[in-house]
This record gives sequence, C-alpha cells and structure tokens, in this order.
Amino acid sequence: MKHHFFGTKLVAALALGMALATQALAEDAQTIVTTVCAACHGADGNSMIPMFPKIAGLQESYIVKQLRDFQTGRRKSDIMAPVVAALKPEDMAPLAAYFSQQKMTTGEAVEKKLTGIGKLVFFDGNEETGVPACVGCHRPVGEGFQIYPRIGGQHAQYVAQQLKNFASAERTNDVSRFMRVVAKRMSEEEIQSVADYLVSLGSK
Amino acid sequence: MNKFLASLSLVLLPAFALAQTAAWNDIKGELKEALEAKGDPTRGKAAFVPCEGCHRADAAGRPSGAYPRLSGQHMRVLVKQITDIRAGRRSVSKMEPFIDDHVLTPFDIADIAVYVHSLPVPNTNAKGPGTTLVRGKQLYDKDCATCHGAKGEGDAAKFYPMIAAQHYRYLLREVTFIRDGDRRNSNPDMVKAIVGYNAADLEAVSDFMAQLAPLPR
Repeated sequence: MKHHFFGTKLVAALALGMALATQALAEDAQTIVTTVCAACHGADGNSMIPMFPKIAGLQESYIVKQLRDFQTGRRKSDIMAPVVAALKPEDMAPLAAYFSQQKMTTGEAVEKKLTGIGKLVFFDGNEETGVPACVGCHRPVGEGFQIYPRIGGQHAQYVAQQLKNFASAERTNDVSRFMRVVAKRMSEEEIQSVADYLVSLGSK
Repeated sequence: MNKFLASLSLVLLPAFALAQTAAWNDIKGELKEALEAKGDPTRGKAAFVPCEGCHRADAAGRPSGAYPRLSGQHMRVLVKQITDIRAGRRSVSKMEPFIDDHVLTPFDIADIAVYVHSLPVPNTNAKGPGTTLVRGKQLYDKDCATCHGAKGEGDAAKFYPMIAAQHYRYLLREVTFIRDGDRRNSNPDMVKAIVGYNAADLEAVSDFMAQLAPLPR
C-alpha cells in the first residue's frame, strides 16, 4: 500500500469518493456536474486550476470520447480514471452536452516574447521541421472543428503538459497519431510558446 | 553456394520482373477507386481541414516552397500524388500521418481533389530570380512543353501536373528530386529528358516555370 496521498493523488481520492457518493445519491447530470466535475473543472467547466483543463465549450463528441477513453484506459490519468470508473455510459452524453454549451473563458496573454513565437507556431507552424500550423485543424481562434478540440483560452500549463505527453507517447488517444507526430516535431520552446499564446485566444 | 544463388535468383527474378511491369502511371487499387469516385466539394472542404495547417486554407501553399500550391491543380494529379505518397511510391515524410489510409478513404481523396481543384489560383506564387528566363524558356520549350504544355497547363488525362503559378523553390526542389531519381514516382521519360541538366539548368527552367501565369478557368 502506497502512502502518496498528497497533491494530485489526494484530489483523485477525493474525486473518487465523490463519484461513488454521487452514484448512490442521484443520477442526473447536473448533480454529477456539481458534486464530481466542479471541484476540479469548475461548475461551468472553466477550471480555475491551471493543471486541470477547461472543458467549457469543448465539442460534445470530444468530451464523450475523452470520458470513454479515461474509462477504458486508452487515455491514462491517475486522476480521471477513478472519477469516471463509476460513470454510466448514459451519463456521458448529458455531461458532454452541458459542458459543450458553456463558454470557455480566455485569460491574459502571458509572456510577450514567448507568445510572439507561439503566434507564429499557431498560424504558420514550422516549415523546417514539418510542424503544421495549429490553425489548420483547430481553426482561426482555436475554436476547434469536429474531432479537433477547442484550444483557444485553454490553460497554458495543461496544453504544454498534453503536448509533452503526446511527444513522449504518454498520451496516445489522439486520432491517427496526429498529435503524437506534431508534438514530437515541436521544440520545448515552441510547446511553451504556443501554450502561452493560446491562453488569450478565443472569442471574447 | 551456387545452389543458394540459384534459389535466391528464383526468388528475386520474379520480383524484378514485377517491379519492371509496374508502370509509374498504372491505374489500379485505391488510385482507381478514387478516380472512379464522384467527389463532392462540400465534403472535400471538410476533409481538407487537416491539410490546411501546411497548405493553407486557400491551398496556396507556402512561398518558401516547403509546401506546394495545390489550388487549381488537376484532380487526377492530386489523387495520384496523394495515393502515391501514402503508398510509399513518393516520399514526403512531413505528410505522414496526415494522409494515412485510416485518415482518408479513397472517397475522401476524391472529395478533396474536387474541392482543391475548384479553388482560385491567384498570381501570388513565389517567383524565381527572373535572371535566367531566356535560358529557362529554351529548356522548357525543348524538353518540357510537349507534356506540361506551352503555358504550363499540364495534362490531366496523363497525370501531368499544371506547373503554372507554382512556387519557384518547390519547382526547383522537385525537378532536382526527379533528375536524381529521388522522387521515384515520376514518369521515366521525364527523368531521361532532364538527367543531363546541371544545377544552373534546373534553376533556369524553374525560374521560367514559376513566372507562367495562372491559366484562365
């Protein structure tokens, strides 16, 4: 038995407790939102904690896919795995519908120098290394399109972590390896810069 | 040992024979499927989204030549190049995995081809230095015009691309690949036609081709 119940593991443990309690209490999506999701992601899906993603305004189908992938282990997360373990398939769609209808907030641009590079990466990519411009799939204000999620307004810390996870193949649930390939072609500076740039992007 | 060589040649000879019979322009497999499919520009616009990160939303490519202009290109040429690249007959590592066969079906390829072909071709491609146009025209008229057309219009039926309004650096890169046998899916007749070109010849002919104006639609 490990005794690492601090930081993320503590959150995971709490969330697990809440998830189990939730199931016994009520089945409706709003209750799950309030008692399970809100603690980390915010009641409207705009997480206040930079390591947890904002999920407001993500595509409904994207949210359902991530929930399923967390449940089946296709997307690995010590935090999300126990939270979604008790989630019923029929609860996923209403949750996804609720959060997709919320509006993702945007933040203030972080460092000017870095976001300058980030803007280049977003709109041009890197021709030398074959990094496609993010704008292609994620669209002009990072609003996303079909399977490509909204990224405009997302927390920089979360975006940078996901890009690193894709690059190292820690995260592998991207469709057709797109993001694993893209992230692997990115430099650390490009990853940090574009993550910083995305914070202030989006429809105001 | 002789026995080993004999059995080896038994294995290899049919392979060589096969390689020789596979022509650069054989219409079979998914190339045939995609060519026979009726493409839809609306579906093509959506399927083109992952291509936009490099080729741009207007399919104008990049002036650096890193990515070619695709807008206005013949549908058959687009279909052939996509299927050649993903089958490994032409190497474009930067395109991997964006056109893999679990990303695009032959029907998606047909849709993309119709859509991209329909996009306008403004005269905004990057031109060459413009210093060797006379030499470039001589070479072009002698070795290229028969297939690619006097105005660079190409020939869809024969899979010859339109080369008018293409970026200079892209043209230069590809003619160099073709001369050196590095493009691999080129018409062997073209390799023969330019195999004697030196670097200055390649630059001159690319210089000339890049200033060929977009063709009236």
